[in-house]
Amino acid sequence: MDLSGRFGARSGNGVPFREVTGLESLHLGGGDEFRQMVLPENGGGFTALLELPPTRAVELLHSSSSSSSQATLHSVGTLTFPSNPILMERAARFSVIATEQNPNGNISGETTTSSVPSNEHIKTEPAETETSDQAAVEKQNNRCGKRKDFDKKVKSSTKKKSKSSEENEKLPYVHVRARRGQATDSHSLAERARREKINARMKLLQELVPGCDKIQGTALVLDEIINHVQSLQRQVEMLSMRLASVNPRIDFNLDTILASENGSLMDGSFNGTTMQLAWPHQVMETEQSYHHRQLQQPPPQQWPFDGLNQPVWGREENQDHGNDHNSLMVGSASLHPNQVKMEL
Amino acid sequence: MQPTSTMNEEFLKKWQMGLQMFRPSIDNASVSERKRAIKLSADVAMASLRKGTTCWSRALIQKTATEDNFLVRQMLSGIKEETLINKKLPKVMCHRKIVRRSKKILMRRKSRSAMEEVAAKAKKLVKRKTQGLRNVVPGGEFMSNNVLLIQETLDYIVSLQTQVNVMRSIVDAAEAGIER
Repeated sequence: MDLSGRFGARSGNGVPFREVTGLESLHLGGGDEFRQMVLPENGGGFTALLELPPTRAVELLHSSSSSSSQATLHSVGTLTFPSNPILMERAARFSVIATEQNPNGNISGETTTSSVPSNEHIKTEPAETETSDQAAVEKQNNRCGKRKDFDKKVKSSTKKKSKSSEENEKLPYVHVRARRGQATDSHSLAERARREKINARMKLLQELVPGCDKIQGTALVLDEIINHVQSLQRQVEMLSMRLASVNPRIDFNLDTILASENGSLMDGSFNGTTMQLAWPHQVMETEQSYHHRQLQQPPPQQWPFDGLNQPVWGREENQDHGNDHNSLMVGSASLHPNQVKMEL
Repeated sequence: MQPTSTMNEEFLKKWQMGLQMFRPSIDNASVSERKRAIKLSADVAMASLRKGTTCWSRALIQKTATEDNFLVRQMLSGIKEETLINKKLPKVMCHRKIVRRSKKILMRRKSRSAMEEVAAKAKKLVKRKTQGLRNVVPGGEFMSNNVLLIQETLDYIVSLQTQVNVMRSIVDAAEAGIER
């Protein structure tokens, strides 16, 4: 999705995000760029929002005193949708509030952040936390925690106790409005925030581990996670054993040749080296003669590549234990940029 | 979050570097020696991708420590030994039978409702599973709270996935090369 691509670029790392809708991208950055991105998609995002059944949590954001207008992922700024009357009316009705601090400190009155109707959006945010620095991590954790709060607040949200308390998580102060009938002392609030953080992360884990979405209950999910980790570790053992039992000449010649080349050349010729080495006459391959051959004979090498690729990657797919095909192909595509049209 | 191509490439490069460092000692060694070296360099490469930011990576690098591969680990990871030390959680060693007996007595004293019982059993189950997770994830004992544990597990799973993907592609390519 285009948004997700730009989102990833924004964050400054190469992690692609899934499922970033217009709404999602908005509440993380305050820049005009985002707004421009969103406005053309306005119809898509907001009509989807409006179609939600009223029992599902619907939130809105409006910012009053957002001082941060940075358009970076790490900014904690909020966005306004002043131009959308329908959403404003919904905001009035459901009046969801979570407030969050800007990194520049003082306790502002009512900055609200948006929460998103479906839980998937929440998950992409915690996903980002792994690649961002600590301060932003904490803030985003906060926000996610509070946001999960609002998902549950549906009908009772109209009558709320108007008590706000302070939670101190590293840098920002977080204002939380307690739900009706809930204890408001700091301990239970802290506990609640912790619980919601854990739940958010468990949701992420559930998505990562295949087959966990259907399972209900923390204990079973944890079981699945443990099994998955153990199976991955066993796979690593198996693979290293297989590699060790392969003729050692091959992999180490591979290494020298790969290591001696530059990055791009290495990527381009990765498969070429395996091809070369498998043939009987390359064990004594020097780097220079290899380079020569590479430069002079690209066309004849294409054909054996194709021949090798298909069985190799075909076998990959058969052996796939539920890995994401796309990720593997992306990885392999990066290793063979010459073979962009993957015969897969 | 699935592994990205940049992560794959970085892991591959680091792994190759590590294997190269092992090369002189490996050519004549047995299969198990080679397997150990391969796995070691793969693990250290995977852990060093995180550059010491995550608990599991530090614990993993520490676990692979033996006297002879000190240099390898140092060079590969680029992390100094001092920063690797994790704060160990205080573990109270109790005789299990005594603990169980005292817990039984406490449970008898408390007045229980049906719902409470179920909730208590569920909590116990969850606790047991989190302990199991701590055993599996490297450095799990050092993670003081569950939030950190789950975060680290997420990261660890993604890194394991890249490791498996890259290793599998190399192994398949090498084996295909042999068959020809």
